[in-house]
Amino acid sequence: MGALIAANDLVKAFPASRSLRDMMRGQRPVLRAVNGVSLEVAAGRALGIVGESGCGKTTTARLLLRLEEATSGSVLFEGQNVSALRGAALLPFRSRVQLVFQNPFDALNPRFTIRRSLAEPLRNFGVPPDQQEARIREAMGRVRLDPPEAYLDRHPHELSGGQLQRVVLARALVTHPRAIIADEPVSMLDVSVRAGVLNVLRRARDELQLAAIYISHDLALIRYVCEAVAVMYLGRIVESGPTAEVIAAPAHPYTRALVAAVPVPRVDQDRGDLPIRGGLPDQLNQPSGCAFRDRCPLAFARCAEEAPPLRAIAPGRHAACHLA
Amino acid sequence: MDALLDVRDLAVHYRTAAGPVRAVDGASFTVPAAGIVGLVGESGCGKSTLGRALMGVLPRAASIAAGSAVFEGRDLVTLAPAERRKLLWRRLAFVPQTAMNALDPVQRLSAQMQEVLVERGGLSRAAAGTRAAALFAMVGLEAGRLRDWPHQFSGGMRQRASIALALALNPALLIADEPVTALDVIVQRQILDVMRDLQARLGLAMILVTHDVAVVAYACDRVVVMYAGRVVESGPVRAVLEAPLHPYTMGLMNAFPDLERAGGELVPIEGAPPSLLNPPGGCRFAARCPFAEARCAQDPALVEHAPDHQVACWRAPEAPALRPLASEAATWAR
Ligand SMILES: Nc1ncnc2c1ncn2[C@@H]1O[C@H](COP(=O)(O)OP(=O)(O)OP(=O)(O)O)[C@@H](O)[C@H]1O
Ligand code: SF4
Ligand SMILES: [Mg+2]
Repeated sequence: MGALIAANDLVKAFPASRSLRDMMRGQRPVLRAVNGVSLEVAAGRALGIVGESGCGKTTTARLLLRLEEATSGSVLFEGQNVSALRGAALLPFRSRVQLVFQNPFDALNPRFTIRRSLAEPLRNFGVPPDQQEARIREAMGRVRLDPPEAYLDRHPHELSGGQLQRVVLARALVTHPRAIIADEPVSMLDVSVRAGVLNVLRRARDELQLAAIYISHDLALIRYVCEAVAVMYLGRIVESGPTAEVIAAPAHPYTRALVAAVPVPRVDQDRGDLPIRGGLPDQLNQPSGCAFRDRCPLAFARCAEEAPPLRAIAPGRHAACHLA
Repeated sequence: MDALLDVRDLAVHYRTAAGPVRAVDGASFTVPAAGIVGLVGESGCGKSTLGRALMGVLPRAASIAAGSAVFEGRDLVTLAPAERRKLLWRRLAFVPQTAMNALDPVQRLSAQMQEVLVERGGLSRAAAGTRAAALFAMVGLEAGRLRDWPHQFSGGMRQRASIALALALNPALLIADEPVTALDVIVQRQILDVMRDLQARLGLAMILVTHDVAVVAYACDRVVVMYAGRVVESGPVRAVLEAPLHPYTMGLMNAFPDLERAGGELVPIEGAPPSLLNPPGGCRFAARCPFAEARCAQDPALVEHAPDHQVACWRAPEAPALRPLASEAATWAR
């Protein structure tokens, strides 16, 4: 089974704001927001990317979508390297790989009707006007906004948050994409409506055999929509594998802490100390060797000397830890 | 039960051009002298308004329209403003919804601590310095960081500092509005552990406002479930979360992804909460409730259905039979 969308050793470095000391030394520090990320997703599959804020999840998504130029590395779509495409050559890629916005409340133009918001991407990608209405209705059906005519002439403020997020998803689906990338697709929604949007996302992926990438800090949500997960820490993937296996038996100490920290809606649960120390280090002053070592309860001498590579530890599973 | 706080039929309205928004509309619950009470419900159900009303820090457009809130024997609703102000910080303290609001961005943390400890608490400057360091230690911050400005702190550190500030004068009740909502899970867990630890060590009462039932399950002893301005269910956490009596509570539990539960469909609650501008008569949940019947057009009162377990639903006696139905998506689909 080949990958529909893949990333190869993606790096994104931003110039960091310089301190006085750096300027006197004539140094120009760079912040590697994404530091060698490789991943792949096949049609009909979903990959979740989890990690704390600032770990590089959103930058990875923007690189995959070509909304941001990578410093190095490449993005492959249907086997073709799209990293070098520019301008009009990028248009087919843009229509086939769609972003689902995080905040439904400002993803749509408040003055446009829902129909107009859905027609716009079709016009941009050159779908003839006489085919547009059918495509719009099909997309509304996919996200279970039935019947479409009950919604199409309304404005965003006349819909609930859950309905709006479905419209945002319909707008992503209307161009008949092969892949969707969703950054925190339900974090702005109430718990009671989240479930409905997640179900719709999952069904759309199955019915259309989409490759899906979900970005979230919520492992419980990822567990529900993605069979595979990649855990990021300071710009790198530190563990990946089938979601259920990674949650049941995390191989990287950071994943172990992340799993332990997720609250579960049950009274009987483990309330012991988290197996992690301190907070995220300053991105510009990461420790030598393993970037996680100053927070790791298991760190030993080798961790300061040698950065552990991401390596296979079991079929389908990878981890970047000397002890994994 | 001798309650520290007894809220009865509290109503808080916002004046708007379109008419009064009944943000809190007859809420009743009690808070025992020690322990953490979770106040849970969806966005807009009135949680923050309720917290602010109890603290006496409502915005100008809002006012208490009815009800009482008896705290340590005195009704906060009728108490003279001067008397009420004396309670703030000393007996009742508040951590607002965004931690940044609790901290003054243009003052060092030490100055903010001094202000509360010296001006409100009457401590000497020296004693205040010692106390501030002790408070920082209590929430897991280094005393040296007192010299910092709020913007030098991460989100988690700001939340810790706001909690330290709120506890400065040893209040009997701390109200924390969504203290962990915007935080990453690891930081969230650390803050909840700080709150649990402080509660146990100081023996005070806390109200933890949240929309997350998993946070309630992790950190709280009791829970008050709000829906559209009203309390629909309350009681000990185990009773309410493990054997919910109200269909809304059942729905909330089933809509929540659970890390440890195997796959399956999540069960959404279709529809949205009603407008609080003209709330419907009868049960507020009826439009979304799969179990609604003709009698639900009448208002169900909040009654003690089991010892210490209150619910406002006509069909609460049938709850054991409704629970398995509520766990199926088909029940809620329209
Ligand atoms: N200043 C205001 N004027 C008019 N209505 C208001 C005002 N502030 C809040 N409301 C309304 O009062 C109701 C309750 O709001 P409140 O902020 O108390 O809810 P909440 O439960 O804290 O929600 P959230 O989870 O989003 O914080 C909502 O319908 C809201 O729109
Ligand atoms: S009173 Fe009726 S409508 Fe309201 S929750 Fe109970 S069964 Fe549902
Ligand atoms: Mg609020």
